[in-house]
Amino acid sequence: MSNRDYLGEFEHIVILALLRLADRAYGVTVRQEIDLRIGRDVSIGAIYATLDRLEAKGYVKSHLGDPTGERGGRSKRFFHVTAKGITAVKRTHHALRSMTEGLNLATRYSQ
Amino acid sequence: MTESFSFQPPLIASWLIDLFATPEQAESILGDLLEEFSDLASKSGVAFARRWYWWQSVRTIVHLFHAEFRGGPPWAIGSVLVGFFFMNSFFVGFFEWATLANCGQNVFGCSELPADFVLMKNGLLIWDLVLSLSIGCIVSAAAKGREMVTAITLGLILGVWSTVLFLVWSASHHYALLLLPLLMTFAASILIVLGGVIVRQIRMASARRATPD
Repeated sequence: MSNRDYLGEFEHIVILALLRLADRAYGVTVRQEIDLRIGRDVSIGAIYATLDRLEAKGYVKSHLGDPTGERGGRSKRFFHVTAKGITAVKRTHHALRSMTEGLNLATRYSQ
Repeated sequence: MTESFSFQPPLIASWLIDLFATPEQAESILGDLLEEFSDLASKSGVAFARRWYWWQSVRTIVHLFHAEFRGGPPWAIGSVLVGFFFMNSFFVGFFEWATLANCGQNVFGCSELPADFVLMKNGLLIWDLVLSLSIGCIVSAAAKGREMVTAITLGLILGVWSTVLFLVWSASHHYALLLLPLLMTFAASILIVLGGVIVRQIRMASARRATPD
């Protein structure tokens, strides 16, 4: 991983949702957490496309839970953030902090 | 079995997701959708939940298609190119159909019509349809795991190419005379996608047989 590997906007949001949900993070809860926190109604396909990309980069890992009746006998796929993923989040936060430092967005650019 | 499980989500929407998702994705996505669908159906009614399921399915398919297209491996791109080459070489095509469709009216300069003209036209029609379906199957089989993306991409390329030809030719020829060749190439595009669906269905069925519950 290079030092210039930053998370994209939606990748960043999804990883933060995983961190908030801890061991309860799977498609439905991630979707609901994003809707609850930032009011963004995303499709389950967008969540999985992003999670698969993050898994390919090594930022998250997944495992299957037990099949349940309410899901028609299908398993939940739980996700958790890896150490590499945490490093990517920190790097992205650091970059955003550095770029916004001294800008005083709340007052100077208020409309 | 819970009460909510008695609500059935739209089967066609589930089938479409199954077509576009990998087996692992389909397991989790369909499970997640069913879980939310059952919850919504008991809170807001089945009609609302079905509409929600359809909307989620369409958005999910768009995302899956985009993700598959973006991460397309070289063999998937190669199979689209080979498919397009085969279609260009053996498919009767827009120009030829335009000529054949209008031969009887001497618009495209067919001075001598063969005696078995109608038979020839019907033969070519069947040839084109069978060829399109076969190429759809071959290209999808080559792009293992990306059957639908590959077939739809090839079908779209053919459809867009024909539409461009139609628009260019419409400027200089009679619009109505070009509708048949345009419809022929659209039918070919649909058959290519159908080829992809057939291959995908066969693969899914054999994967399910290999991993019984």
